[in-house]
Amino acid sequence: MPEILASVLDGLLIGLVYGLAAIGLTLIFGVMDVVNLAHGAVIALGMFAVYLLFGAGLHPYLGLFVVALIGLAFGVVVYLVAVRPIINAPPLMTLLSTFSVSMIIIGVGTAVWSTSPYNVNFPVTTLRILGYTVTSARLVAALAAVLVTGFLYYFLYRTTLGKAVRAVANNREAAELMGIPSQQILAISFGIGTALAMLSGALIATLFPFTILSGGIYELKSFVASVLGGLGNPTGALFGGVILGLIEGSVAPFIKISWTNVIEFVIFVLILLFFPTGLFGGRR
Amino acid sequence: MSAALEIRGLEAGYGEVQVLWGVDLSVAEGRMTTLVGANGAGKTTTLRAVMGTVRPWKGSVRFYGEDVTHLSPHTKAQMGLVLVPEGRQLFADMTVEENLEMGAYSPRARKNLAANLKRVYQLFPRLEERRAQRAGTLSGGEQQMLAVGRGLMADPRVLMIDELSLGLAPVLAQSLFGTLKQLKEQGLTILLVEQNVHLALALSDYAYVLAEGRVQIEGPSREVARNEEVRRAYLGI
Repeated sequence: MPEILASVLDGLLIGLVYGLAAIGLTLIFGVMDVVNLAHGAVIALGMFAVYLLFGAGLHPYLGLFVVALIGLAFGVVVYLVAVRPIINAPPLMTLLSTFSVSMIIIGVGTAVWSTSPYNVNFPVTTLRILGYTVTSARLVAALAAVLVTGFLYYFLYRTTLGKAVRAVANNREAAELMGIPSQQILAISFGIGTALAMLSGALIATLFPFTILSGGIYELKSFVASVLGGLGNPTGALFGGVILGLIEGSVAPFIKISWTNVIEFVIFVLILLFFPTGLFGGRR
Repeated sequence: MSAALEIRGLEAGYGEVQVLWGVDLSVAEGRMTTLVGANGAGKTTTLRAVMGTVRPWKGSVRFYGEDVTHLSPHTKAQMGLVLVPEGRQLFADMTVEENLEMGAYSPRARKNLAANLKRVYQLFPRLEERRAQRAGTLSGGEQQMLAVGRGLMADPRVLMIDELSLGLAPVLAQSLFGTLKQLKEQGLTILLVEQNVHLALALSDYAYVLAEGRVQIEGPSREVARNEEVRRAYLGI
């Protein structure tokens, strides 16, 4: 019994990191109706970013701040190059365009790092919480995910710029009529979504080995988590991530790990069929 | 009297369909000007082309003498050319106060945010009572109050209002027109598009009658209101 609970606790902690990745995806969709298919590749970039910074002597947790800034800048560039010119075109266009970005990142990444696994090797301790053993890395990753989400909410609900992001998400034309430079806001939003994806990748890199292709599975998990929580709803996405983590944690002691994906996607389909706006309602 | 807003030969449309065929119109500073006409005459398109949410094909828009024809809508709004759009277009998931705050987004308006907020709450005490409520949950009349209030938060030098009374109960429409009269008396320059022609002509100083994408008749509102030909041919009253 304690092993199961330990596994569930592990699942809860990793679920928060999934949730962070999902928030990045759902934020971009909520603000501009773009499904960012480069999400997974960007998560992988976050993994390699923290790896390179670590190689340059920066502690992974300090590296997170740098990764966030890189993510913000990279996201703005991707928006300007690949999304802005077709922001008013049919959705298929932005799907193809962000998919192309994904292929380019993975292509270049494969050329530079091949597809062999890397890891960020830094000292990790184990802690005992309520009698259960968890690694400090997992605890910090989960804590960081919660903190970043908190910051995001502070930004969206307490700052003028953040409120402008919500205004543009609500009604882009009305925002423009009120003097809000909507294209600038869209670029910033894409930057934030990208930064969140890279941060989640960086956190995952402190837990597991990774390759340039590792982002794919987390992109899929982000989709499931976002849809669970209602596309466009950041809190929902976080809870969606936690639900995924809990499912993984609870089934891990009993079945092979590869089955968790099957279970998750069965749930995904069921949610789409019976709760098309998610468990927590659609965009806010 | 100098013109706050000067529209010359404005042509615009949607896709292949031309709606405006050369609209000439000017809005005098400190006055209320109204643009009336039947449905489909191009009133809303005129306002949208002035703001730039519909791209003008030809013609020019001058705002206090400056050519603003091809500036983006948000730049014009920041300069003080503000449109309260048809159908309110509120930020439905944001609170009343957040909507008002977004009205004051431009650096020019942000400086006066506190004073303007007080002023809007004085004009519409109802909004203050509902400040923390989501805009989407307001009644139709309250939503229109919020749309006007949000426009006022932008510190307009010219306020354009598209269909103030559309879909509102007569009592509410009357009360909103009362507010508009107050604003006019405070010296605000207003361009009003309104389907309630009686009220619009009664309240405004100068009127333009739009039909088939052109201004057909213009003059002081009182004269336009008395003009039998206008009443029959263009206004259906």
